[in-house]
Amino acid sequence: MPTRYRFSEFQRATGTTRPEARFGQLFPEPERDADGRILRLKPIVSKVTSQEVVRILQPYAASRFGEQCHAVIPLAVYLVLFQLLILRERFEDSWLITGGLFAVIVGLMFFMEGLKLGLMPFGTVIGSTLPRRSSLPVVLIITLLLGIGVTFAEPAIGALKTAGQNVLVEKAPYLFALLNEWSDTLVLVVGASVGLAAVVGTLRFLYGWSLKPLIYLSLFPVLGLSLYCALRPDLASALGLAWDTGAVTTGPVTVPLVLALGIGIAAAAGKGDSGLSGFGIVTLASLFPVTGVLLLLLFVASTHTPAEIIQAAMAPAVSGAADLAWHETSPGLEIIMGIRAILPLVLFLFLVLSLMLRERLANPAEILLGIAFTIIGMCIFNLGLTYGLSALGGSAGGLVPMAFMEIDGHADSPIYGYGVGLSLAIIFAWVLGFGATVAEPALNALGITAESLTNGVFRKRTLIISVSVGVACGIALGLAKLIFQLPLFWMILPGYLLAIVLTYFSSEEFVNVAWDSAGVTTGPITVPLVLALGLGFGSATDAVEGFGILSLASVGPIISVMITGLWARYRMNMQVKAAAAVEGAL
Amino acid sequence: MKNQPITFLTDAVLITAVVTVGRADTILKAVRNAGAMGGIVHLARGTGIRERLGLLAIAVEAEKEVVSVITASDYQDFLAEVIYNAGELGAPGNGYLTVTALERMATYIPEEAAARLARGRHE
Repeated sequence: MPTRYRFSEFQRATGTTRPEARFGQLFPEPERDADGRILRLKPIVSKVTSQEVVRILQPYAASRFGEQCHAVIPLAVYLVLFQLLILRERFEDSWLITGGLFAVIVGLMFFMEGLKLGLMPFGTVIGSTLPRRSSLPVVLIITLLLGIGVTFAEPAIGALKTAGQNVLVEKAPYLFALLNEWSDTLVLVVGASVGLAAVVGTLRFLYGWSLKPLIYLSLFPVLGLSLYCALRPDLASALGLAWDTGAVTTGPVTVPLVLALGIGIAAAAGKGDSGLSGFGIVTLASLFPVTGVLLLLLFVASTHTPAEIIQAAMAPAVSGAADLAWHETSPGLEIIMGIRAILPLVLFLFLVLSLMLRERLANPAEILLGIAFTIIGMCIFNLGLTYGLSALGGSAGGLVPMAFMEIDGHADSPIYGYGVGLSLAIIFAWVLGFGATVAEPALNALGITAESLTNGVFRKRTLIISVSVGVACGIALGLAKLIFQLPLFWMILPGYLLAIVLTYFSSEEFVNVAWDSAGVTTGPITVPLVLALGLGFGSATDAVEGFGILSLASVGPIISVMITGLWARYRMNMQVKAAAAVEGAL
Repeated sequence: MKNQPITFLTDAVLITAVVTVGRADTILKAVRNAGAMGGIVHLARGTGIRERLGLLAIAVEAEKEVVSVITASDYQDFLAEVIYNAGELGAPGNGYLTVTALERMATYIPEEAAARLARGRHE
């Protein structure tokens, strides 16, 4: 019987397949002792060539860059096309805006990566060890301080300060004071409110409180204070700012860091695995700052008269506008802002870790690089915010009213009839809100959680669409507020009253998802863009202030998600009943 | 429980690829497109290259996925090449693959394939 060989073995033996090399040939000659026994292997490579460095870094950078492009470019293209095609208006400084948008993309890329490399390791280590080593009050105090730190580090906070420069002191003195002279206090108050929200949210995890009573309890003072301010004409103009800060605070730094600590505390107490862990802090962190800012407003109002503020604002404008130090003019200012935003948070986290926990982090070099990335990213982002997002939003916002009303300096305005132009402006805002929200990555994550939490009753897609519709309607409503100069309070009040009624009827899961969805949707791109849009729009239509759009965009999804949830439950009940009826008939 | 005679399959190889987390799906898709059955994925954490690279390590994920595919030794080079390309293993930092000869394997043999096996014996 002849020996049989496989064809593949024949190929291999005759070397007709792919090239082969002995693995051992890749190694340099190892270190040997006198007898020729191997002591130690030498590594295959002693250094990485520059070409290899490029090959390693290129896909890494490209994927991160692409992620941010995905978030920024569609919105920017939409705004530009709207301006060119519908308003038939060309951009001034289009290169500066393009450069600014590029800076936003690069800045966010560095910032997000730095956050992952440099700040998140602190969050994870502190979140898992602090609650086990320290007593509850100490942990809660640290949570409170952390809330302040993360608020300063939140990229969208810079947009508030930028917005302050465009407020006219004569029209809204208290708003001007809050955003300029008191701006650091404002951020501090917002931060303290976020910290307090984190503390209450953590206690909720620990003791398993329902979110519903917390919502009722925190809405009561907010709405009460707002009513008081709405009835005083000099304070009413700052109401929009107060409500908008709630949306600004819950961003990419706050949410993961505060959640890491909160969940860590709950896990240390053995209560970490309820499906609702992690919900609620975002909700409270978007309601508490409103109260905080309103209290600050009342404090400022009780110590300063409008006349004093106007006088103070006018005085330096005359004397010292010419020679500002380098750190007070544009590129320097953004860099200082970036460093001031990140460093305190990093120092705080480092002190907690090294002094209280006596822990050391695994990769100090990597973490330092991450912190450097965060700071570099924040600086570049701030530059991009000034020249790109704010300019684009402001320009579009200033021109959209042209569609239906006369604007100084534009001879051909209004371009369309009043009805057509007005509808165009509202549709513009609606689509902008929808588009910006659908693409938000945080919403996708929330959708997945919601789907598993409700056992599939609430599909991920359903949640994304209903949140987007809610935000879109809120933004459109906000624009209407600016056009018709409606008082913000009387638009927010019915919204929240409706939300309270819906909360009462909804089940705990839907309440958690719905209220958190409001805070999750407003990321570092949407917030500055919508703020700038509102302010540009406001100044073009001679409104007193352009705030308030974001706050309406926060109520919108709360209502739309709960209605969708109730509808989903109703349909499920009907199906169950129908199935039972069929069964009974059989 | 019924005892069935076992048929051992010989000349099988195991191709194991260790790749960056997230790549496994791409590889399994390529494997299926190439006509092979598919495989399994484990999660793993690797060390080595990250320590050697210093700060460049941030570009290399420590989380890895291990893809295991079994095939006939006749097709091992073809399938290894498919996996090599789908996993971009030719670029630095992306992982590696190994091909291991398997002594024997046994599983359910579909009837159509069993018929082919029987014909092969008679020929």
